[in-house]
Amino acid sequence: MLSSIRASTTAEARRPSRSRWRLIWNQFRRSRAGLVGLSILLVFLLAGVLAPILAPYDPYEIDLEASLRGPGGGHWLGRDELGRDLLSRIIYGARLSLVIGVIAVAIGAAFGVPVGALSGYLGGRVDLFTQRAIDVMLAFPGILLAIVLVAILGVGLVQVMVAVGIVSIPVYARLVRGQVLSLREQEFVDAARALGATDTRIIWRHVLPNTVAVIIVQSTLQVASAILSAAALGFLGLGAQPPAAEWGSMLSNARQYIRLAPHSVTFPGLAIMLTVLGFNLVGDAVRDALDPRMRL
Amino acid sequence: MHRLLVVLATIVLTSALGFSAAAAPAVAPTRGGTLIVGSGTDATTLDGHLYTDSPTATIMEHMTETLYELSPEGRVQPRLALSHTVSPDGRTWTFRLRPNVRFHDGTTFDAAAAKFNLDRVLNPATRAPWRFLIDRVTEVTAVDSTTLRLVTNAPFAPLLAHLTHSGLAMQSPTAIQRLGADYARQPVGTGPFRFREWVRGDRVVVTRFDDYWGEKALLDEVQFRVIPDDGARLAALEAGSLHVAVRVPPREIERLRAGRDPIVRIDTSLRTIFVAFNVTRPPFSDRRLRQALNYAVNKRAIVQSALAGTARVSDAPIAPNVQGYSPVPVYDWDTDRAASLLREAGYSRERPLRAVFHHPTGRYIRDAEIAASIQGLARRVGIELELRTLEFGAYIALTARPREQNDIQMYMLGWGTVTGDADYGLYALFHSSQWPPVGFNRGFYKNDRVDQLLDRARVTVDQSQRNQMYAEAMRLIAEDAAWLFLHSESQVTGVRAAVQGLIVHPGERVMAHQAWLRR
Repeated sequence: MLSSIRASTTAEARRPSRSRWRLIWNQFRRSRAGLVGLSILLVFLLAGVLAPILAPYDPYEIDLEASLRGPGGGHWLGRDELGRDLLSRIIYGARLSLVIGVIAVAIGAAFGVPVGALSGYLGGRVDLFTQRAIDVMLAFPGILLAIVLVAILGVGLVQVMVAVGIVSIPVYARLVRGQVLSLREQEFVDAARALGATDTRIIWRHVLPNTVAVIIVQSTLQVASAILSAAALGFLGLGAQPPAAEWGSMLSNARQYIRLAPHSVTFPGLAIMLTVLGFNLVGDAVRDALDPRMRL
Repeated sequence: MHRLLVVLATIVLTSALGFSAAAAPAVAPTRGGTLIVGSGTDATTLDGHLYTDSPTATIMEHMTETLYELSPEGRVQPRLALSHTVSPDGRTWTFRLRPNVRFHDGTTFDAAAAKFNLDRVLNPATRAPWRFLIDRVTEVTAVDSTTLRLVTNAPFAPLLAHLTHSGLAMQSPTAIQRLGADYARQPVGTGPFRFREWVRGDRVVVTRFDDYWGEKALLDEVQFRVIPDDGARLAALEAGSLHVAVRVPPREIERLRAGRDPIVRIDTSLRTIFVAFNVTRPPFSDRRLRQALNYAVNKRAIVQSALAGTARVSDAPIAPNVQGYSPVPVYDWDTDRAASLLREAGYSRERPLRAVFHHPTGRYIRDAEIAASIQGLARRVGIELELRTLEFGAYIALTARPREQNDIQMYMLGWGTVTGDADYGLYALFHSSQWPPVGFNRGFYKNDRVDQLLDRARVTVDQSQRNQMYAEAMRLIAEDAAWLFLHSESQVTGVRAAVQGLIVHPGERVMAHQAWLRR
């Protein structure tokens, strides 16, 4: 009993403590790019959360007589091909895109992390089979796999989240497996095993907590690519269905009119670009902050 | 009244423009060269008896010909036939055929060849989709080499108009017998161009047939290229890699008109766009809801925005240039009436009417955008429509399911009355004998009086009597709100300035038969 407590304290010592988080934040703050990314994300997050308050108009109210009108007359970003207010749609779109990104990544992590941990920890035949299955998934370009999955699951927002989530499973599985492979050789794992801890307990209490940092970094970057994939599916008409204010489908509907009404394409495109950029900048800065070699 | 005048003036002007472009050019035509036509979809089959779509018809009509043809002005005139006589009882039709006509493979076109073709369409095993056009014909006889006789089981007024349909084209019997199923990839007709190659999903190429019986083509070759995206097709035209682009997005007209090349032309079309309701299933088995949607949708605004005013708001189930058309009272935009009809039927904003609305994408001019407009307009009166779209082939198959399996509630479709006769537009779409899987009445509409009128109009020879019957049938169809009536399209075609003598036929065909390229 006593020894098991000692063993878990060994592992806990390696888990980031409160002061460690402060250290990471201090490190993160030094990255100007990271702060820029963070502020972009905060803006979109606020827009998404407060959409009903912030949006100046109903994002679904059409006005055919005013279709494709440029910015002006109370419509700051102009109107789309059905005369809907573009700013309101982009604000509502932030909500959709962020939800899609986060849920898709959550699905990917929820399945990818345990698969990777088991595969790495157990090794042998389990590892061989899971890794070959993951090889197969990785062999397809992500967007192609997502399209195949949407074709199977059907068109819609939930389906897109699931499809993009499934696409990111192998990424997590590979990453976590690599971490676990090196962690399982560590003394504290041997110690836990020697004390008679079960495999489940060792993975759950001792190994996984040590992979949290890499999972966080990966997730920040993964949200960006999930948003981009979801927008791509929306662009192809496979994602959110009309009248949903999804950035990708807004781009797709407006692209016919790129020469007549460039604003209708530019602003949704900018929204996608900025969000993805924000997540990437934050992801890079977090990675740097967590990397011991970068610490001064 | 003022609006009606404006609409009429627009139609007259646009058709005048169309014809003047087709009129004889001032400079002498030059021979030779390749004309490249950008189309939205690939050919579905090159067997002239088996296709159903107008993009394929455009290609086929350069290679094959029919006994009669519908001129761009809407007249039925002889082509491979020279003349006809009808027996006093109106049931025996005798045709004199054009002599000295040969198919591209050297086979002679005669009465036996014509009989072979019509028998092939009539044979149920062929599964020819246009069999209903001549299904009243019970007997086809080749009297001598240039005399063909058809016997019908009742007087059949639209027969000549129906014989203009390119689905009843004359194709070489030898080639059909020799090639079997492969014939669909190498058609042989009598037209001014002969088949050269078909690269699936990319292009169909036809070359001039030098032994053509009539006025020979001027071009060496015509290529029909597939570019599905309207914007991309227009861009290819502006870049000069196409000579002709069909279905130019109407909102681009103004921008294009500012330049000199390419030229935009707007031609009339026989196509009507509509949303049909499945009248046998809830919720749209309730006529009040069908009428409510008709009142809720501002068709004029749709035509003005997505179609930049190039279409005409429907006031009948067929286009105005169809024989038998007359305007009937339809539904003007009136959200109050829509709301009160919804209330009567037990719906409100708190308990909105919900329905699934199927629509095609990329088949008709701005179809998906129009569907989204309808969704937005319906939302204003508290009708929540969920949009669903499918690839066109799958979409058509879905709407063609028999009643028990057909759970579509409402769907958008277009119908080109390409024979120019109301029978083709009304009988196929509203007669209860035409429910799927047999025919095109895919909303399962049935009104005994309408059936009766359409049957009688088929066997009545006097055109003014027929017109009256059609007028009454259309009034009943509108009263029943079998459709959400939308608009009849115009064809917006982009053409390079060098192209001369091109005809854009109201049946949605680009005809390069006498076209040439100015050097």
